[in-house]
Amino acid sequence: MHPGFLDHLLLISQFELKRSFATRSGLLSIVTFTVVWCVILLYPLRLAAELLVQEKGLMQGFSFLDVIGFGSLQKWPIPEFGLFWHFALLIFPLLSIMLAADQTCSDRERGTLRFIVVRSSRDRVFFGRFAGVMVIQALLIGAAALSTLALVLYRDAALFSSAVPDLLVVTVNVILAVLPFTAMMAALSAKVKSARQATVWAILIWTFLAAIIGGLAYYLPTLAFLTFLVPGYQLSNLAELSGWHTLQLAYVPLLQSLILLAVGRWTMARRTL
Amino acid sequence: MKSPLVHCRDLTHVYSGKVALSNVSFELDAGEPIGLVGPNGAGKTTLLSILSGFLRPTSGAVRLFGQPPGATQLIGKVSALPQVARLDPGFTIIEQLVFYARLQGFTTQQAALEAGRVLEEVSLTDATHEKPAALSHGMTKRVAIAQALIGKPALILLDEPTAGLDPVNVRTVRAIIAERSPATTFIISSHDLAELDRLCKYILLLENGMLQPQTSGLNEEQAAIRYITLQMETGPAREVIAQLQALEGVLQVTNPQKNEFIVAYDPDLQPQMDLQLMQCITSHHWQYRQLSHGKTLEEKLFFKH
Repeated sequence: MHPGFLDHLLLISQFELKRSFATRSGLLSIVTFTVVWCVILLYPLRLAAELLVQEKGLMQGFSFLDVIGFGSLQKWPIPEFGLFWHFALLIFPLLSIMLAADQTCSDRERGTLRFIVVRSSRDRVFFGRFAGVMVIQALLIGAAALSTLALVLYRDAALFSSAVPDLLVVTVNVILAVLPFTAMMAALSAKVKSARQATVWAILIWTFLAAIIGGLAYYLPTLAFLTFLVPGYQLSNLAELSGWHTLQLAYVPLLQSLILLAVGRWTMARRTL
Repeated sequence: MKSPLVHCRDLTHVYSGKVALSNVSFELDAGEPIGLVGPNGAGKTTLLSILSGFLRPTSGAVRLFGQPPGATQLIGKVSALPQVARLDPGFTIIEQLVFYARLQGFTTQQAALEAGRVLEEVSLTDATHEKPAALSHGMTKRVAIAQALIGKPALILLDEPTAGLDPVNVRTVRAIIAERSPATTFIISSHDLAELDRLCKYILLLENGMLQPQTSGLNEEQAAIRYITLQMETGPAREVIAQLQALEGVLQVTNPQKNEFIVAYDPDLQPQMDLQLMQCITSHHWQYRQLSHGKTLEEKLFFKH
């Protein structure tokens, strides 16, 4: 009896988890992320949250946060999560570009993919690796959100019941936000020769696509819908929302991911191993 | 109807304008090992890569057990030793072999046993918990051979299996192939014609991406003219040729290489030519190294007289 598609998806994604959490290079990346996140959590995030809590009365009607695009911070009942939301929407997509860059490229160049594909299939490897990287990111996002919850409870333990829904909202939304970035890296990784090339291409595509489409939409507003093609284009709109309203734009990353995964699968199926 | 083991029809592959394979068609059935020979750039690795599902042909059709290469129905049935492939440097040998066995449907426990078994088969038990970077070139090759032996594949594609191995390990690989045949059919690409001569009864010859007609029918048992290859230690070539030529039934004697003579003879006139040759050698006090029936594979394929 041959293992099915889901069995292989599970095995391949488990192996990716092992690569991240049980190998020296994987652990090094996790430790680096943890240190960076701890610094963000303990300094900018904690201090800004304390300021927002202390000056809550003064902030009413204060337009400075609106001016710099952080107006929605006032809508979050627990400011730590509002700040987490803004930091996470910036950090995790960038982390995704780095973390998900090497889904298949170096294994293909080394020939390791040949050993795997001969007992699996290109589709299974492609989606298994994608699923594995998504689980790793989900764990990191979950851990970062939990650390923010710990910060909230340290300030006021009574906030637990109201903090849990916010925790779920931000976690789900940030996972959705990194989905198209991971799919873009899966597609690029299926095409290029190294993780570095994938990262460079991702930055170029991201920047130029956003600039070109932005320019086109400015002069020809009917083409504004093309901005939909840019991974993360919804993030600025998303930052303005709070609570469960943030899920209003969930369809954007989901559709972008489906398109990018279809492109990646097509590339992977045709690539010489 | 039972489908052939391998079926290729009009297989063509073009690499950026250069034809690597041109209209290659053949069918192979299960059984004894099959050799794939040809000069550098003849298309051997391209053909094996297509059969393994690593490369899509530009045109033509390929079927293994009636399925296209890379089909999930072939998992566990077909395995391959690619010419250029290295293991993941981040994991130990055993971790990777267990993972491969799990992909083939083994449970975790069975996979651990199977990985241990194939490593033992290639005499690498000591390297079980090493990472690939700690292995020598020969050991890396043996691990790559070990992964191809996981489970009970019906077809194993080996691209240069003995290149870079020391004589002891070449013998081990030869023994593994002999032991597993014909339950497992091997397709072996190699430049070592002596090796293929020992192992294979059927040879595919590729030249400039085209399959040559003398691919089959290398069996000489039914031929009207037979050959004996004689390797001498000593003996003046001119005299040896003259004396052998004078023997009854001998049609022609050639001297393709130093101290190597090929005797063509009529088996109807002299069925025991080997004994007659030995008597001739003894009577002239010459010394010989080896006497074998038939031509060497090199002679059969590349130096037809």
